[in-house]
Amino acid sequence: MKYQNRQTSRLSEKLLSLMCKSEYLEEILGDLAEYWDELSEKPKWKRSVFYWFHVFNFLQPWALKTFKISQKLNQYSMFKNTFKVAWRNAVRHGQFTLLNLLGLTVGIATCIIIGIYVHQETNFDNFHTKRNRIYRINQPDIWNDWTAIASSTGPNVATALKEDIPEFEEVTRLLSLGSQVINYQTAKGDQRPFREDGYMVVEENFFDIFSFQFLEGAPETALKDPMSMVVTKATAERYFGLEKALDQSLKVKDWDGNWKTFTIKGVVQDIPYNSHLQFNMLVSMNSYQEMLDRDGWKWIWTAFSTYGLVNEGVDINLLTQKIQAVPPKWAPPTTERIFNQTFDEFTAGNPWTLYLQPLEEIYMSEDPDIHRFGPTGDPQKVRIFTLVGVLILILSAINFMNLSTARSVNRAKEVGVRKVLGSARAGLIRQFIFESTLYVFASTLAALVLIVLSLKQFNQLAEIQLDLLPYLSQPGFLLVLGIFILALGFAAGSYPAFYLSAFRPIESLKGKLSSGMKGKGLRNSLVVLQFTLSIILITCAFFVQRQLRYLADADTGFQTDNILQIHNIDQFGFQTETLKNRLLANPAFEKIGKSFGVPPYVWSGDRYRAADGENEVVNLNNLRIDEDYLDVLALDFIAGRGFDTEKSTDKYHVILNEEAVKTLGWSLTSGLSDSPIGKKVAVASGTEDEFTVIGVVRNFNFNGIKERIEPLILIHDQNDKVWDYGAGLSFFSIRLNQNLVSSNEGFFRLTKEVQVVMDEIDPSVPFEFSLMDQGFEETLRTDRRLGRVLNVFTIIAIFIACLGLFGLAAFAMEQRTRELGIRKVLGAKISELLILFSSEFTKLIMLSIILASSISYFLIDDWLRDFASRTRIDWWVFVMIGLVVLLLAVITISSQSIKAALANPVKSLRNE
Amino acid sequence: MEKEHIGELEELILLLIVMLKEDAYGFAIRKALKEQANRTVTIGAVHGTVNRLEKKGFVESDMTGATEVRGGRRKRVFSVTASGKKALQRSRDIKVNLWMQIPEFAIK
Repeated sequence: MKYQNRQTSRLSEKLLSLMCKSEYLEEILGDLAEYWDELSEKPKWKRSVFYWFHVFNFLQPWALKTFKISQKLNQYSMFKNTFKVAWRNAVRHGQFTLLNLLGLTVGIATCIIIGIYVHQETNFDNFHTKRNRIYRINQPDIWNDWTAIASSTGPNVATALKEDIPEFEEVTRLLSLGSQVINYQTAKGDQRPFREDGYMVVEENFFDIFSFQFLEGAPETALKDPMSMVVTKATAERYFGLEKALDQSLKVKDWDGNWKTFTIKGVVQDIPYNSHLQFNMLVSMNSYQEMLDRDGWKWIWTAFSTYGLVNEGVDINLLTQKIQAVPPKWAPPTTERIFNQTFDEFTAGNPWTLYLQPLEEIYMSEDPDIHRFGPTGDPQKVRIFTLVGVLILILSAINFMNLSTARSVNRAKEVGVRKVLGSARAGLIRQFIFESTLYVFASTLAALVLIVLSLKQFNQLAEIQLDLLPYLSQPGFLLVLGIFILALGFAAGSYPAFYLSAFRPIESLKGKLSSGMKGKGLRNSLVVLQFTLSIILITCAFFVQRQLRYLADADTGFQTDNILQIHNIDQFGFQTETLKNRLLANPAFEKIGKSFGVPPYVWSGDRYRAADGENEVVNLNNLRIDEDYLDVLALDFIAGRGFDTEKSTDKYHVILNEEAVKTLGWSLTSGLSDSPIGKKVAVASGTEDEFTVIGVVRNFNFNGIKERIEPLILIHDQNDKVWDYGAGLSFFSIRLNQNLVSSNEGFFRLTKEVQVVMDEIDPSVPFEFSLMDQGFEETLRTDRRLGRVLNVFTIIAIFIACLGLFGLAAFAMEQRTRELGIRKVLGAKISELLILFSSEFTKLIMLSIILASSISYFLIDDWLRDFASRTRIDWWVFVMIGLVVLLLAVITISSQSIKAALANPVKSLRNE
Repeated sequence: MEKEHIGELEELILLLIVMLKEDAYGFAIRKALKEQANRTVTIGAVHGTVNRLEKKGFVESDMTGATEVRGGRRKRVFSVTASGKKALQRSRDIKVNLWMQIPEFAIK
């Protein structure tokens, strides 16, 4: 029988003729052909498997070709020799090799992780196919500070741009409504409310601009009709499980308590991590047409984000100039109708500038000052990590160079012999550089393995999502890695390469240069640099921790613990009082107060001025509360009193904090004549209603401990003269009786009880709660995370530095064994030897400590400037860190020197 | 050359080469190994062994006899050299000698 499977045989022939020596090829192929024939009875797959097994079995040393190149050039055998020498050296000095590779591996792994992180952070929103033409329209913060830029505009900016500016292919706007209550049917058939986050109202052309991947439905028509909804895959699964979500319907609770029924017209893939637009549900904007039409706040309802897709080839600078004509043309009707002010009066001469911000800059840019939604990057953090990554890489590279240099001196003899045998200098240089490149290559491979093993833990620690695998298939990444290996290999190998290759063979063979003292200056300065960097890192990490602890312990001005906050109270409407009374029946609840915001998230504010005479308009934060709320917080009154249920006029009275008194231009001196109590505050946006001040409370942190305490005005929740009376989210804050709620189980039981009460009154309101102290904790979360990550890197840095020191000490020890032997024979004590030996390195470390302390002082001082309240920079911290590092270094060195000092001098001296 | 030892597989293959005469090439040796000694080895292993034997000088080879089933390729036919024969005899003598010294374990 002839060849049944030409393909199999042809492929195997090719492979074997490529790999095997030509003198054996004929018989091998012949025998295999016979074998193939013999296998003809077997099933096809078995035949192939057996055949290929035999084919591969020929790939043995005796049959393999020696590479052709070796016959033409002598390079190949030299190359082989370099390999061999490198391997022998590595094995002979196993300890050094291990130290060297370990340090380098850790360093490279850290650097790659940070590299990936930085790459990811700086490449947000890069999945939109039209990303180069998408811009967000920003404008000044027209409500407060006209010099600040906000990322949101009124709804009519988009319509005006569409009307006037043909350069825009599309303009779309979106309104983030945050979280909404969704009603869904459970598997058992009953209706349950659920609070869904990431609810956005968008226009029909949303998907013409942004490229989110559709799984079901058509992007062109999904948001065309009123009451259409698009959900992400995860959201669809949450409501419908494995059922098809398309054309199902969900009910969303409207602001007035009615339900709107939406039909799902599309399911998109879950939003990628690197998108600044994060949503779970999108609904068509025309579903809310009545809301858009209702108030006619066309230019001042600055809750919308406007995005434009410009035509190809449009000059953005020219376009930016052109769109400046839009606000003065279109906004005046709104300002006149709402404020009874002309456009110029409203802007007070400030330009109403429209800015075009490129999509790819949105995440990482520090502008605008006021972000409407979506995650934003922290360029400072990226800078810090880049710096740390580079530092650690430098540390490990220094280590590597240091150890290579130290060791290479031992090889002066090898160089001598090579030179005598006719080696050219270029060849020697090549050899050393090749060797160090080989090391770097091995470490990089090990680093990649290390990353794969540890990335999950690191992601948890840093609360980020990094993945190495997609990068490994990117040619760009591999190229960078390749360049990196070559560059570091060259840099680390260059000193020994150029230095050693310059030896005169006679001298090196005589042993004149083998003392290892050459290159000491360089090595020492590298040690100093290394330790300086590590100490700076340690000091910075320490102060970051200290500042965080300081903030966590800082006095917020009131007791944040044991306050339970119940959300969604606004949805109870007229039954709010019933709920309050029912809850008060529970002995665990000492006091219940209602507010329209909870610290540390009080973000509402308005324009006010002191009503006595012509005063400047100022911005105050405001919080609407009932009579009991301040009692729950247990705030101190500096003057006056709180709201009183007995006094009906109190609803038009207000309470200020100390800062607000100052901001309004009043004094707090206790002289009765000048007390702010009884003075009036006027609302400066529109109505000019005046409210009397009845109390002043001590400053307290209502926006998190990091923030400066801002002026705050507390308004009665029944005050129907404020524009947002009755609107907005409200909360019950409950002071818990500590004795009755001491355990986690007790607390859990309590929340269950609250839920039961709420369900009895209105089961359509979702039960959500929070604890105030956890809220405050949350404001420090990103800083804590930074602190944790910094700690890890610090440990890595000091580890690498100690590794280097250990290697150098071991090397120096080896060099000086004979000297120590002689000293011992002549009667030196072990302690004297230790001191002699350690003092040399200790001097270097001391120098590093001094250098590092001064540098880190400036760094920390700079970082702390961002905080309203900051910890002290004490001198003893520097001393302490210095001592610890010194101790660590001495331990590292002594681990080597004790061994040498204790050794029997006979052993070291006999060697001659 | 006198001192070269031969391994067990080498010995088997040497014997088979003697036995197979003109037909002693890689694939046939493998087949014979299976039939005579119930040993299954890869073709590569056979080739490796005979090449080793050739290096040691126990066999010599000649390229002959192309057949259709081999795709027109020749076979490398091996024959045992004098030193190969001597090695075989020595190996047999050693074993026989040993067997003689253990009569209680003699083959019945």
